[in-house]
Amino acid sequence: MSNNIIEIKNLVKKFGRFTAVNSISFGIREGEILGFLGPNGAGKTTTIKMIMGLINITEGEIIVDGMDIVTHRKKIKDKLGYMSQKFSLYPKLNARENVEFFAGISGLSRDKVNNKIAELKEIIHPDIIEKSVENLPPGIKQKVALFASLIPDPEILLLDEPTSGVDPKMRRNFWQDIYELKKIGKTILVTTHNIDEVEYADRIVILHRGNIIVEGEPANLVREYDVDSVETLFKEAVKKNERD
Amino acid sequence: MKIIYLLKKEFLEIFKQKELLFMMIIAPIFQLIILGYVVTTDIKNIPVGIIDLSTGKSTTRIINRITGSDLFDVKYISGVNRDTVKELKKGAVKSIILFRDPVKTGAKIKKYPEVQILMDGVDSNSSRIAAGYFNGIIKNFILDDLEVLGISPLVKGKPLIRFNPELRSINYMGPGIVALLLTTITLFITSISIVREKEQQTIDTLLISRLRPYEIYIGKALPMGIVGVIDMALGVLVAVVWFDIPVRGSLLVLLISSVIYLMAILSYGMLISIFSTSQQQSLFFSWFSLLTFILLSGLFTPVENIPVGLRWLVSINPLSYLIRIIREIFLKGNGIEQFYGDLLSLIMLTILISLISIFNFKKFISK
Repeated sequence: MSNNIIEIKNLVKKFGRFTAVNSISFGIREGEILGFLGPNGAGKTTTIKMIMGLINITEGEIIVDGMDIVTHRKKIKDKLGYMSQKFSLYPKLNARENVEFFAGISGLSRDKVNNKIAELKEIIHPDIIEKSVENLPPGIKQKVALFASLIPDPEILLLDEPTSGVDPKMRRNFWQDIYELKKIGKTILVTTHNIDEVEYADRIVILHRGNIIVEGEPANLVREYDVDSVETLFKEAVKKNERD
Repeated sequence: MKIIYLLKKEFLEIFKQKELLFMMIIAPIFQLIILGYVVTTDIKNIPVGIIDLSTGKSTTRIINRITGSDLFDVKYISGVNRDTVKELKKGAVKSIILFRDPVKTGAKIKKYPEVQILMDGVDSNSSRIAAGYFNGIIKNFILDDLEVLGISPLVKGKPLIRFNPELRSINYMGPGIVALLLTTITLFITSISIVREKEQQTIDTLLISRLRPYEIYIGKALPMGIVGVIDMALGVLVAVVWFDIPVRGSLLVLLISSVIYLMAILSYGMLISIFSTSQQQSLFFSWFSLLTFILLSGLFTPVENIPVGLRWLVSINPLSYLIRIIREIFLKGNGIEQFYGDLLSLIMLTILISLISIFNFKKFISK
C-alpha cells in the first residue's frame, strides 16, 4: 500500500540458531494506531528494535517513509520516538531533570529546553516534579516517559508495552493521550499483552513465535472469525499456531 | 552542545547517589591512609625467643643489642633449653636464638658463643629479612670488638643511600598505592556506565537520540576521567601531607602521565561495559582484571621476580608503566628524559586499548 509510512517485507531475525522473527510482512499506515500483540517472546520487541536500527536485520527489509533502514539509519532515527517497557527514564533523576536531559540531547536550544520544562509543569503536579523518578507511581512515570519520547517531535511513535504495571484508570488516561496524538497526525505502534487494549487500535497484528498469525481491524476480525471478542480470537489463534 | 546535557546527566547521577560519591571521593582517602600503614615491607617487632646456654660474658652483650633494637620484640630469655620446634609451631615467636658454648673448649675460643638462629619459614620473605638483621647485629658486635683491640678489617663497605636515605618503605609504596586507587575507582565505575543504561533500558533511547556515537562515548567516559583526576590529586595530597612522601619531580608531568593512563583505563572500563549484560557481570570482570593488573604491575613484588616467559604480560599492563613513572617522579625527581621509554610505551598501549574499545563500541551500537 502506498500510504504505508512503515513497510516491513519478509523480515527475519535469527540469534544464532534461534529464529526470533520468521519472515514477517506488514505495513503501518500514516496516522494510524497499530496494536502489536503477542505473548512474551513472540518477537515484538525484536521487531521494534529492528525498526529503530538498533538490531541488524538477518533478512528482508524495513522501509520507513520511503527510506531503507540499512542505508538511512540516521535519517530514520530522527523520525522516531520510543518508549520502552521500563519507561526509559533515569530513576535517580527527577522528572524535570529527565525532561531537561532528553530535550537537551534532542538538540533543542536552551530556551526551547526551558519551554519543555514549563510544559511538563502543566501536566505534572509541582509537588512531585522534584522527586526522584524511582519514587513516582507508575502512572506518573508513564506520563513523563511519554512526554519525553515526544520531545523531538517524532512522526512515528514506537511504544513497547507502555501500559505494563499501570492501573486501569491510568491506562484509560494513557489511551486518551494516544488518541490525542493520533488526532495531530502521529503514527503509533503499540505493543501490548493486555488484550482489552486492542479495542483502541485501528488495526492489530498478532505475533506468535516470530510469525504473524492474525492481521486486520479488530471489528472486522471478530466478524470474520465469528468470535465474541478479540480476546477469544487471540487465544484461539495462539492455540491453533501452537498445534501447527 | 548536546554533549553538555549528557555530561550534566552523568554528574547528576553521581551526585544523587551518595554511596557512589562516598566510594569515589572519601573511600580512596581512607584506603590510602590504611594501606599506607599496612602495605609496608619494613619488618619490625619480630617476636623472638632467646635461649642462653652459654657461660661467656659476650652473650649478654649480644642479647642487650637484640633487646635494645626495635626490630625485635623479645618474648623471653630462657636459661634452660626448650623444644624449639614446638615453640615455633605454637607461633608465639617467629624466631629463636640459641647461644651455647663452643664444643671445643679453650680460653680464647670461649670468649664467643656459638649462635644458632631458628626461623619460622612460613613467611619466607620476613624470615629472610629477620635472619639478615640478626647476622647484622652479630657482625657489628664482632667488628666493634675488633676495633677495641685495635684491629680494623681490611675491607669495609659503607652504604650511602640516595633518594630514600631512611629506607622508608612508605616512600616506595605510597606513590604506587595512589596509582592503584586511581585504577580501582575509575575502572569499577566506568565498567558499569554503559551496562547500567542497558539495565534501565535507557540505552535504546540514547542510541536513537540525536547524540552522535562519539558524543555518547565521550559523554560516558569524560566524567569518570574528571573523577579520576580529582582522586589522583587527593591521593598525592595525602601522600605528601599525611605520609610526608617527597615529590621531587614535576607535578605537571605526573598529571600528564596520569591522564594518559586514565584514558587507557577508561577505554578498558568501557570495553567491559559494552560486553557485559549486567552490572554484576561487569563488576566481576573489573575485579578479575584489577587483580591481574596489580599482580603484574611491580607494585608489591618486583617485576624481575616474574619468569622471563611471562614478562610480556607486564609489558601489556598499563599499570606497570604508571607505577614506574610515578615512583621516578616522586622519589628520584626524574623527568621525561629519564622515563620517556615507559611513557612512550604507555602512550602506545593507551592508543591500542582506546582503538579496540572504540571499535567495539561502534560495533555494539550498530549491531
